[in-house]
Order: sequence, then C-alpha cells, then structure tokens
Amino acid sequence: MLAVYATAGGVMAGLRRDRRTMRSAQNAFAAAVVSALVAIAALEYGLVTHDFSLSVVAEHTSRKLPLIYTITSLWASQEGSLLLWLLVLTGAATIALHQNRHRNRELMPWVAAVMGAITVFFAGMASFVSSPFAHVAGAVPRDGTGLDPSLQNIYMAAHPPMLYLGYVSMSVPFAFAMASLITGRADARWLVSVRRWTLVSWTGLGIGMLLGAHWAYVEIGWGGYWAWDPVESAALMPWLAATAFLHSIMVQEKKGMLNVWNMVLVIAAFALCLFGDFLTRSGVVQSVHSFVQSAVGPYLLAFLAAVLAFSVGLLIVRLPTLRADHKLESVISREATFLFNNLLLLALAFAILWGVVFPILSEAVRGVRATVAAPYYDFFLVIFGLPLLALTGIGPLIAWRRASPRSLWRMFRWPVISALAGAVLLWLAGFGSSPAGLTALSLCVFVTVTIAIEFARGTSARRALAGGSWPRALLDLINRNRRRYGGYVVHLSIVLLVVGVTASSAYSTVREAHLAPHQSLRIDGYTLRNDGVFQRKGPNYTLDFVRLTVLRNGRPDGVLNPGQRQYDTGQVGNEVDIRSSYATATDLYSILQGVDNNGSGGVSVKVLVNPAVGLVWLAGIVFALGALITIWPDPREARQLARRYGELLARSEA
Amino acid sequence: MSPRPRLVVALVVGSLLAVFLAYQALFNSGTLLVSVAQLRSDTDGAAQKQVTLTGTVVRASRNGSPMRFVLRDESSRQTVPVSYRGSVPDAFQTSRRVIVTGRLEHGVFVAKPDTLLTKCPSKYTSGGS
Repeated sequence: MLAVYATAGGVMAGLRRDRRTMRSAQNAFAAAVVSALVAIAALEYGLVTHDFSLSVVAEHTSRKLPLIYTITSLWASQEGSLLLWLLVLTGAATIALHQNRHRNRELMPWVAAVMGAITVFFAGMASFVSSPFAHVAGAVPRDGTGLDPSLQNIYMAAHPPMLYLGYVSMSVPFAFAMASLITGRADARWLVSVRRWTLVSWTGLGIGMLLGAHWAYVEIGWGGYWAWDPVESAALMPWLAATAFLHSIMVQEKKGMLNVWNMVLVIAAFALCLFGDFLTRSGVVQSVHSFVQSAVGPYLLAFLAAVLAFSVGLLIVRLPTLRADHKLESVISREATFLFNNLLLLALAFAILWGVVFPILSEAVRGVRATVAAPYYDFFLVIFGLPLLALTGIGPLIAWRRASPRSLWRMFRWPVISALAGAVLLWLAGFGSSPAGLTALSLCVFVTVTIAIEFARGTSARRALAGGSWPRALLDLINRNRRRYGGYVVHLSIVLLVVGVTASSAYSTVREAHLAPHQSLRIDGYTLRNDGVFQRKGPNYTLDFVRLTVLRNGRPDGVLNPGQRQYDTGQVGNEVDIRSSYATATDLYSILQGVDNNGSGGVSVKVLVNPAVGLVWLAGIVFALGALITIWPDPREARQLARRYGELLARSEA
Repeated sequence: MSPRPRLVVALVVGSLLAVFLAYQALFNSGTLLVSVAQLRSDTDGAAQKQVTLTGTVVRASRNGSPMRFVLRDESSRQTVPVSYRGSVPDAFQTSRRVIVTGRLEHGVFVAKPDTLLTKCPSKYTSGGS
C-alpha cells in the first residue's frame, strides 16, 4: 500500500518536468487521481475490515462503531483527510485542464505547473510527514479506541468534505492568476475561466460552515451554533475574500478596472485557505478544534510563506502590465458600490484575522499572552456587516459609471419607504431592545424589497416580450440570466441568514433552573415541568434523561427529553432535545446539565428560546440553490463568453 | 456635484481603519491568557482583572450550580479552585486541559458563564478542517 502511494507521489513529481507537453501533464493528473483513489480505497478497506495494525484505524474506530461512521472516520484523522484533500486537488486539476484544453493555450502549462507544485507539496506531506499507512508501535490492539462520540453525527460526516472542496478548489483560481502573471497576459481572460471555480470553492465553504454550525447546534449543545472559535473564523475568512473577489471580477469584466485588486484578492483568498488549514492542524492558537500539536504545522507555515512570497513578488514584477482601462468616474455608481463592498468585506476579514492571531502577536510584542473573545468579533460584524448589508440592496440596482440623484430616488423610493415603515413597526413590536438588531432587520426589509422589485420588473419585461404565464416568465427570466438572478437568490439567502442570526442572537431568552420533581420553570410563554428522570442502556453508553412536559397557555404542548450519555470509555455526551416550530421557525432548546446524586429526582436544566433560528438553516438551502443556479453550465453563457474572449483577444493584440 | 472619487475611496478606507484602531484603543479588548502559576503569582496583574485561565482539571464534579472544580498548573503543583455556572462541554472530565474566563475573587476563580472550553489531549482531530 505504501508503494502505491509512493508511485502517486512520483507521478506528481514527474509532472513538473513535463509541463511543456500538456497532454502528458493532463494524463499525469488523471493518473494522480487514480492513485489517490487507490490509496483511499486501501485505507477504507483497512477501516471497514478493522485492520487495527494501522494506527489510523486503531485510533479512530472500534468494532462497535456503526458502518457509516467507520467509513466517514477516514476524514476524522489528519492522515485520512490529507488523502481526501489530495483526491479533491488532483480531481480539480484534471477537470480544470480538461475544460480548458482548447482555450487559454499560453496559460494552461503554467496553470498545470502551479497546480502540480501544490499537489507535490500535499502529496509529500501525506507520504513522508503524516503517512496514512503508518503501523501501530508494538502489539496490534484487539480493538480500536473508537471515534469521539460527538463526531458520530451525520452532519459531521458531510461537513469536512464540503470544507475541503471549498479550501481546495480555491487553488484553481490561484493557479490561473499565477499563470496569467507569469505569462504577462494580464488581461481579463483568466477571470472568465475561474469564476465558476471560485463559485464552487465559495459554495463549498459556505455550505461547509453552515453544516458545521448545525452540527454544533444539535450535537455540542450549548444552545448556539457559532462561537468565533479560531477554526470557524479560519473558514469564514477565505469565504469573505472569495465573496469580495466574485463581486470585483464583475467590475473587471465589464469595466476593465480593479485588475491589481483582483490579483490581490485571489492571492489573499488562497493564502487564507492555507492559513485556515494551518490553524486547524498546528495547535498554535487556543481552540476547541485544535487538538493536536501536529508535525504538519511548520511545513504548512513554510509553504504558506513560500506561496505568499512567490505570488506577491510576481505581482510586483508584473504591476506595470496591470494598468486599468478605466477610472472610477463617480462614487454614486455600481463600480463604487462594489469597491466599497470589497473594502468592507476585506476589513471584516482583516478584523477577524487580527483577532485570530492576536494571542500570537501580543506574546511576541508585549511578552504577554492575551486573547480576544466573542464581543470583539460581534462588534466588527455589526459595524462592518450592517453597511455591507445595505450595499447588498444598493449594488444591484444602481447604474454603472454614474447615477443621477433623480434616478436614485426613482429606484430606491419603495425600498427606503418600506424599510422605514418596517423599522417603525418593529420598534412598536418591541424589537427596539437591540438597536443593532432593529437596524439589521430594517435593512433586511430594504434588501428584500429591492430584490423583489428586480424580479418583478424582469418578469414583467419578459412577459411583455414573450408572453405566457407569470411563473413561466419568471422561470424563463432566471434561466436566461443565471448569473444575475442566481446572485439575487444568494442575496436573498444572506437576508434570511441575517434575520435568523439577528433574531436568534439578539432576541433569544435563556433560563437556567434546578427543578425538583413536578416543579416547573417558565420561559417566554412556555412552562416546562420535570416529570421524572429515566435511564436507558445504549450499545456503548448509558443514557440519563429527564422528561420535561411542555405546557403552553396551560395546555400540554409536547415533551422534551434532554439527556446525558455516559460512555463506557468514561466520556460524557450531552443529548440536547430541541422542539422546532415550522410556523415561526422558533426553537425551544433544552439541555440537561446534571441529575442530583441523591436520587431525589431533581435536575439542573438550561432552556433557551431561539427565535427564527430555523431561518439560518433555510438560508443554507436557499444559498445552495442560488449558488447552483449561478454555477450550472449554460450554453448561452458559454457562447457569450467565447465572444467576449474573442473581443478581449482582439483588444489585447490591437 | 460629486466629489472626487479617489478622495471618497481614501476617506472610506481611512474611516474603516479609524474604527478598527478606535476599538483597539478604547476597549483594549484582549484579555490576558494566563496559567495557574501566573494567576497565583499575579504576573502582569493577572489576579486583579478578568483573565482567561488555562490549566488541568484535577477534581471535577458535573453537579451543583455553580459547579466547582480545581485546576492545576501544567508545569508546577499550584492549584486554584474554580466556581462555574453555565454549559459544560461533553469532554469535560478529570485530567483534561481546559480554558475558562473569569476573575480571582477571595482565592476562588469565579468564571463567567458559558466560557468553559476543553482541549482534548488524546490523538483525535476534529475533522472540522
């Protein structure tokens, strides 16, 4: 098995020398995919057949573990996840090279070279530093130590691969950007090829984060879903940079501006992806996730430094070729809105980055270790996020180049009026308790109305042109302008996300209480009564749970059974019980904090009412839908791209 | 009527920086990260203000509100009692390394609710990349 693996590394290394012969490079990547697959299959075989002589298998699974989690424990270990990483990386390279086999002839060899270099690094890590096929020292154990109970969850099975997809596919835009710089062909052509890859990466990161958040919400059991842990921030930062990039490439495509800026963004996004991987694996910052002081850390840091030095150096050398075709004419224009959106996104990413590295910096500079906590991040999320939300509404409607005040008024009178009306209504309804929350919700009204207007206008225009029913015209409209209307759908999901996050964080209610038998606690119109403590035996744990009868207005309204698992290994696992209302998207969330030792049947419980938290998960589904609309291949768009590509070629040769 | 775009962009960048610096200056948001020994010896005034404490759990009981446990320094034998209320991570148990935020009051480290985090010493990675 080790031999199979070494061959894979060899093929990848050989590829570097072969970069002139493109076909061979392409085949080399395809071969690399096959070897990564073989390696994964071999490891999976070891996992499923309980080959405990392999340390990965012994340390992450046990005989009692259900099959599905035995399979997914591949990416619970660092070694296995490196293999998965390699598979995605080589797969992405193969697809990218195949897609562009008739295009970008000057760029592609360099794209292959950059992708090859990245692959060689990660393959080297998997072969020499953190080999997945290492054997356990000493005697082969009879049984493995098992997978951590909190990872035995279906969301955990899907969350890491999504994030890997996001982290890894960012290397394709990076490779194209580098190729474009190396060849000195710094026009907008590379952007055309990478937009979809950036979207894939960005979607993967977005969905990955939401899956992780949902997992934390139902499994970890503190009543929330986001804790500004450095590792969570690690995925958020490249996502923010990619969001900025996706917006600013539109400006470069349409107006030939922001060329240097786009290069900076793509480098930043890729570097942040590597940094995210480094944070997770190095244990350099205090985090609930960074469990392992791993050998991989220093190598990753060195690789990150090399990538940054190389790409920034190249950018500086090629700076003269990146002159913009146009200048910003007015601050009241779509270009300017996009630029401000970029600045805010990067400012937010920078503030988060500062927070993450703050402990390291403060130790280096002041000799004191210090950390920042959630209020720091929340402050910047509000102060940079709210203007960003406002721009989400303004950007799509405002004219390119220069907008007149009169047209602004015509465009924005209804959104502004409805946002103000919404603010007054919300204030009367008692939402004034959190000014930031009130502002966020009013801005959500503003953005929603602008999007609704765009859809209504487009649909009626389409109907006037082609006739037919309204739904038909709407579908037609989306189908014909996937980028634009898919983008609006994504904006809509951001609105849902903001409403969900705002409501569930600014307006949630928490009660903690000790309940003797038949005693009850009141929270937000609900009454919860302790109706007894029970015990149940599971395959590898004992579950203690309390039966809480929920009463609403004196009438029974369901039962909550929060519990605690005592695993045979001595670990404890919270089993929260959540009751979701689909009508209001509000969750009644219950946590069992402890059962009295004296057998009196008393319990300590914590109960939260999280309003609108369901919208956060709904936002994930809408986000995926919108992203899919924009990613889906479109022959019409392909023709347009071909034409634009021709124009760009003509312009660059003129 | 419209001012020069370059100027406005520069002003926006400037104001974003200003917000950032103002926050750093006004709130001095970082809390000190100290070990049990540093807390005991009042390094950098750690015993006088709110700090984030790291240590190893020696005596743990999940019951009682506030729940009480003892943290030991990782490189010496010094200990400090901790009083904590709020949610307890699944992995919390004796000999685990934890971090918790609070302040020392009359010899007891009174933790802020819901700030307890565990670090897992076993060879196990989160999977959450």
